[in-house]
Amino acid sequence: MAAADLNTVRATIEGRLATELAESPAIPVVFHNMAFNPPNNGTWVQCLTSFGGNDYLSQGGTSDSFNRIVGIVVFNIFSAKGVGPGANYVVGKRIRDLYNRVNVSGVFFDAPTGPEALASPVPEGYFQTQVRVTFESIEEL
Amino acid sequence: MAVIRGEQGSVQFDAAGSTNATVVGTRSWSLTTTKETLDVSAHGDTFRSFVGSMISGSGTVELVYDPDATGQAGFIEDVLTTADGADASFELFTTGSSTGSDSVSFDGIITDMEITSTVGEIVIVTCSFITSGTITGNLE
Repeated sequence: MAAADLNTVRATIEGRLATELAESPAIPVVFHNMAFNPPNNGTWVQCLTSFGGNDYLSQGGTSDSFNRIVGIVVFNIFSAKGVGPGANYVVGKRIRDLYNRVNVSGVFFDAPTGPEALASPVPEGYFQTQVRVTFESIEEL
Repeated sequence: MAVIRGEQGSVQFDAAGSTNATVVGTRSWSLTTTKETLDVSAHGDTFRSFVGSMISGSGTVELVYDPDATGQAGFIEDVLTTADGADASFELFTTGSSTGSDSVSFDGIITDMEITSTVGEIVIVTCSFITSGTITGNLE
């Protein structure tokens, strides 16, 4: 039992996506705080992992106790503009299937939300959808 | 003055009543202690009088279910003990886990165990108990 390493949780989440999107057809992916040049008129994914409010799960002070750590992963999926949503949603399904109700290394992923089409893509020049997955990890002290 | 928050508490238990050990993963506990009263009003009295009589207790312990957590299996399965001789010992702590400090201790019987599994939520176990014999308070 030890305090949770949030960087390990982040790496678990991001590593799962990086492995999936490295497979054919490979899709560029960018995470928080990384330099990145989006492909012109191509498909790419932005993955943003954030931790939220945590709470007590059990009694016991700083040892023999559990905490709940929650967070959200936001996947922004960008694809070519003006050619319909199909290609984008194919990527959305790959991502959704990757996390849907999965328990990986003690990280419980909930049922995903999306892909939702966004009216104002950021950056502009793409068709953008968003998949969001909340997750929960139990810290055992 | 120092108020205490629930997460500071803990529960210790031993089914055999010898050496208590912490049950890891308890989420809450409660204990209700009741003293029966005897009516000692005399003929001619205009106000009732009582004296305290038998004392007993009952309560619950709620756990975040973890089959690997120390002490949980022994605690939640004690309800299956047949011909239970009320030899299990409990110590409920408001804070810390130092025997005889900030706690209530007693022997008792686990009379009820309910395990609840709900979609999207953590599995919770709730055990009810009654005390048997002396209840020792160290809450001062």
